[in-house]
Amino acid sequence: MPYRVPVVETYRKKSPFDGLLEHMHVVKKCISMLTDEVIKYYDGNFEGFAKVAEEVSKMEHEADLIKGNIRAHLPRSILMPVDKKYFLWLLREEDSILDHAENLAQLLDLRHTRIPDELREDFKEHARKVAETVEEMEKAVGKVKELVETGFASRIREEVKKLIHNVHKKEWEADQVRYRIMKKIYEIEDKLDAMDEYHLLKISDWVDDIADHAENVADWLRAMVAK
Amino acid sequence: MISLAILAIVIFAGLYMAWNIGSNDVANSMATAVGSKAISIKQALVIAAILNFLGAVLVGKHVTDTVINGIVETSSMAPQHVALGFLAALLSASIFVTLSTWKELPVSTTHAIIGGITGFGIIEGGLDSIKWSSLGDIALSWVISPIAGAFIAFGVFKLISYFVFSSKKPSQAAKKFGPIFVALTIFIIVLSIFMKTRAGEMLKMNIYEIYSVSIFAAFISSIAGYFFIKKMKGKGLKLVESIFKKLQIMTSCYIAFSHGANDVANAVAPVAAVIAFAWHRVDTIYLLMFGGIGIAIGIMTWGHKVIRTVGGRITNLTNTRGFAIDFGAATVVLTASKLGLPISTSHTVVGAVIGVGLARGLDAVDLGVIKNIIYSWLFTLPATIATSILIYIGLTIIF
Repeated sequence: MPYRVPVVETYRKKSPFDGLLEHMHVVKKCISMLTDEVIKYYDGNFEGFAKVAEEVSKMEHEADLIKGNIRAHLPRSILMPVDKKYFLWLLREEDSILDHAENLAQLLDLRHTRIPDELREDFKEHARKVAETVEEMEKAVGKVKELVETGFASRIREEVKKLIHNVHKKEWEADQVRYRIMKKIYEIEDKLDAMDEYHLLKISDWVDDIADHAENVADWLRAMVAK
Repeated sequence: MISLAILAIVIFAGLYMAWNIGSNDVANSMATAVGSKAISIKQALVIAAILNFLGAVLVGKHVTDTVINGIVETSSMAPQHVALGFLAALLSASIFVTLSTWKELPVSTTHAIIGGITGFGIIEGGLDSIKWSSLGDIALSWVISPIAGAFIAFGVFKLISYFVFSSKKPSQAAKKFGPIFVALTIFIIVLSIFMKTRAGEMLKMNIYEIYSVSIFAAFISSIAGYFFIKKMKGKGLKLVESIFKKLQIMTSCYIAFSHGANDVANAVAPVAAVIAFAWHRVDTIYLLMFGGIGIAIGIMTWGHKVIRTVGGRITNLTNTRGFAIDFGAATVVLTASKLGLPISTSHTVVGAVIGVGLARGLDAVDLGVIKNIIYSWLFTLPATIATSILIYIGLTIIF
């Protein structure tokens, strides 16, 4: 049935923000699962970690598809309530979280590195702090729908800014723990096998990358809510 | 002497044009309310049919006068030629609108009829017979109306964002905000019904009485509106949207009324012109009723299908947005109707959607449609002028 109703052409079938939340949901699921497994790993339970790495890889791919789909449906002529560049950068950083999660899971699976007793609690705390950073980021990004619904009302924008501040706080805390871990590693380096030391440093580094990218997401969100 | 054949053809073509407006253009103005689920399709049909008719009959005269007298200087032409000319204009517009509907081009019936009339004027009276300044005003109004629609919708949404969404208790704020807009809408509508219209003349109202009646109607309706939404229960943003859902029933009436007031002229003006020269001057009110009925028939016979399809394609549209879009577009269209400017309702609605988008109110607005609309502007006039000239030459050979 032909008709000419130009107003219909202005609306999009699916909101890019719905896609963003869908993507975030996968990130959330993946990081929360990985954190639990990594803590078990730190305790010396290497059994079944190959499956975990596989699972992370699967979710990374799933998120990639969502990301690609969002990008494919953002033509040049689209008008969004936020700068499209910021939106795409946020999406990209959110996706990097899973890229790093995948790298980490594969590294842990390739070589089962035993965490020395004196470092174990610090490693666990670090993993938890990083997971908390991602959780705070999810809370902040989760507000995006409300932001759009209220036309970026100042009340909601203030709430989002507070949540972004929490992300920075958690990321800073994670950095502190990581500094402590590295210090301790160098303190006990005489006792450590060179390969072990290399891997311990590398693990703490790669776990920390996840928090860094969560922080980047928060930074792009901050740019999006600016007036 | 003009034969009955011409009269029969022009009435049929006028009815077809009105049917086209009802079957297609109405869907564009009702799409927002149906898409945001403020009204059901049945309600949309009833509102559109009744309010389009009322708008056409009560306020349709100004634009109709412009279309008859504002484009071509007919006083020096032979009456028969004028009649044939308006018939040619109407036929060319009908053909063009039919083709563009089939090809789904965002062409406006208004632009088509203005092009058609200009075409016959050029061939019959030469370029000097065209009232260029009046035509220039009309062309300017085509550019201004979508921008004005965007501007008002932007402003209304910003007000909602500032007074309602940013408030600590958004739902309470919405309950205060709602009646103000009810008052404003009713004031504008009542004013338009009595100011410089038949209804105002019949009641012998002077300007102060018209203002008093409008203010009184606005006052009463805003109190009614206040009690209507006062009892509504719910929480936060959800309640805000439900309040605006109720208010959207009003704005969809507003836009249907405005649409009828502006677009009925596209069908009725040529018929009026032909009858006036063929017969004697007929009371425009009967012709406006004829046009209003034609639009209503279009809505009932075909429009419901288009409304259903179109409404289903608009999702993700909340009631606050729908309210801002319809209020913005309807205000512009009704103002233009009072000024006697034949504009495109469809393009104004598109402008209003973009306005809300610019106010950070929509997830994503596809601006690709702007390009299509501009192309259709550039394309419609030459095409309808050319077909109108050809049809006119054909008609003068036959009659």
